[in-house]
Amino acid sequence: MLRRTFIQWAGLGLAATVLAPSVLSAEEKQKIVSPNAMKFTDALDKVTGGKKVSESSKIKLVAPEIAENGAVVPVKVDVESPMSESDYVKRIHVFASKNANSRCASVELTPANGEAYFATRLKLGGTQDVVAVAELSNGTFITAKQSVKVTIGGCG
Amino acid sequence: MDISRRDFFQIAAALGLLGSAGCATSGPKRVDDLSAGDIMGFESTGNVTLLHICDMHAHLKPLYWREPSTLISAPSLVGTPGFICGETFRDFYGIKSGSLDAYFDTYLNFESLAKKFGKMGGIAHMKTIIDAVRRDRGADNVLLMDSGDTWQGTGVALKTGGEAIVDAQNYLGVDVMVGHWEFTYGKERVMELLEKLNAEFITQNVIDNDPFSDNFEELVFKPYTIKEVGGAKIGIIGQSFPFTSTANPKHFTEGWSFGLRTDTLQSYVQELREEKGVDCVVVLSHDGFSVDQEIARKVHGIDFILSGHTHDPSPRPITINGTVIVIAGSHGKYIGRLDLDIKNKKVVDYKYKLIPVAANIIPADPAGLALVDKWYKPYDAEMNEVLGRTKGTLYKRDTFHSTFDQLINDAIRDTMDSEISFTPGYRWGTTVLPDSPIIMDNVYDMTAITYPEVYTFELKGSQIATLLEDIADNVFNANPLYQQGGDMSRLGGMTYDIKVGGQAGKRIGNVKVNGQALQDSRMYKISAWGGNLQNAGSNLREAMIKPVYDVTRDYIKRQGTVNISSDSNVNVVDYGCGCPKTGNVCS
Repeated sequence: MLRRTFIQWAGLGLAATVLAPSVLSAEEKQKIVSPNAMKFTDALDKVTGGKKVSESSKIKLVAPEIAENGAVVPVKVDVESPMSESDYVKRIHVFASKNANSRCASVELTPANGEAYFATRLKLGGTQDVVAVAELSNGTFITAKQSVKVTIGGCG
Repeated sequence: MDISRRDFFQIAAALGLLGSAGCATSGPKRVDDLSAGDIMGFESTGNVTLLHICDMHAHLKPLYWREPSTLISAPSLVGTPGFICGETFRDFYGIKSGSLDAYFDTYLNFESLAKKFGKMGGIAHMKTIIDAVRRDRGADNVLLMDSGDTWQGTGVALKTGGEAIVDAQNYLGVDVMVGHWEFTYGKERVMELLEKLNAEFITQNVIDNDPFSDNFEELVFKPYTIKEVGGAKIGIIGQSFPFTSTANPKHFTEGWSFGLRTDTLQSYVQELREEKGVDCVVVLSHDGFSVDQEIARKVHGIDFILSGHTHDPSPRPITINGTVIVIAGSHGKYIGRLDLDIKNKKVVDYKYKLIPVAANIIPADPAGLALVDKWYKPYDAEMNEVLGRTKGTLYKRDTFHSTFDQLINDAIRDTMDSEISFTPGYRWGTTVLPDSPIIMDNVYDMTAITYPEVYTFELKGSQIATLLEDIADNVFNANPLYQQGGDMSRLGGMTYDIKVGGQAGKRIGNVKVNGQALQDSRMYKISAWGGNLQNAGSNLREAMIKPVYDVTRDYIKRQGTVNISSDSNVNVVDYGCGCPKTGNVCS
């Protein structure tokens, strides 16, 4: 019920706008150039600090194969983690590989979140990969991606 | 096609139902030395029978339906089930040329075999087969499963808002169904018809998507059902067409979200096995044959997928990762019979046969004929009107071009005086034999949809090129999960080259409009129906909007006799024939 209510807000476009800017403190914002203005590989590097990102079955990305509406593509990220003080997911990042502003969302998590789960809706400028990246508390990064097709529609 | 008590006993005798007391007194009705008993003959296996139908497209009456002579796909898929036709199909399944199976399953010698074997399908003939199986196995041991695309596709379906077909499903005794074109009657009508339907409608991949709804993010339909049959517990999960909201106008299903939803599919498989303790998991699907092969690779623990949508007849099941997949053609041409032997909570054996509904050999059930008459009667005068004649075969299917589509394109361009026409690459329709009359019912068979409007508008040359590439990727993407399962849109007034195996966005070249190279910056006058191209265009001529069946009817009447060339307007540069084998080999 809670999860559903949360997604409901996300559906209204509120969660995304509230959450995304909250990732960075004002101090951090001054220090770095926002990855929002970057292309995918640069934005990814910015977020990971150039560290290796490995594909993992622990991060689950759920997105449609073919978007019903490219302007609001539902995306869910679920990371398998104990979410304990010593082992938790610090951040979840979502990218659209070909959007001009490639980073769509970054969410900060703590063990208090209980589970590493995030859902939002993305606006996709065209057919491309949606990429989810999770930053773990040990400083490593894991990722999952899926191609999402944006089409005018075919014929049944 | 006349039915009598004697006919019934002949079939029963052929199937061994009457034992030694069988009282048939003369040989059964035969064509090419085949009797109804031969066609339905089946060595029963185990304790349960699943009968499967798909993509009937509302054909209550028998029809002619020619399978494709071109079925081109991405190079990696060529020659695999779902992408084989003609000689390749015949050789793949070991079918004898000139046989009833060759007539039903391939286009080879279609016209001459049509004279020999006659029409296909029809509910009265389907019912005879279904009843024979029910008697043979015991009615409690048989389930009739319908993979959808049942309510739409004929004039009588359209005019009764689908009701005639629901009545037919109740008559046939459909137990479980899923949908696709059903949804084009709109959400409210779907719910009304489901009230009248005796079958259970199940679907795990349609979710409420209206953020203001109380049911937001919840299932719209029951995701699965559990049936106790033949002493076994069978879990059946429904999978409706995943791309309904992109392939058909969104407004019919506004507030519902579709999609493959393999993650929830997997969780329902688990739920059925672990919590509900079923002996067998079946997915009743409208994903399409090739998509369901991918589903079998991704989702574990499914015993059987009863597939639909892509209209493939598959005489043999295919098995992927332990999941057995069957699909039963289209237009009521076949009934798939799947016998299961379930012992100790496991499927230990199965047997499958795709039974061709040969209307001249399988007798009609009189109640079915009466039902058809009842629903057609109010429309008989309109439906049976002879509009004109055709010299050659009028058919639908093939990847790029088919003659009935060409006729509709000719009608639209002639009526609307447009430079280019786009018509949809659906796989449903009808076949009219050469030198035959064309009746209005045939026109409805090709065009009866709830959004029949022909729109006339303008598109820029560069837009047309992009649209073509977009459509081509929906048909030729190498990953079946990104295909929508139809054929390429049909074009009037335009020719082009295509490299099917080319990169997305770079497949099409040498585009010509009425013989002249397509100019990127010029505006073209376009007419289209059955899609949503008008949303991308400008300067829509509202006064010219007219239903496609009226446009086609009037054109055929004006022409008197039509003679449509079977020459394609599309040049496929990377394939040498329409029905290639694996490795792009042509026989």
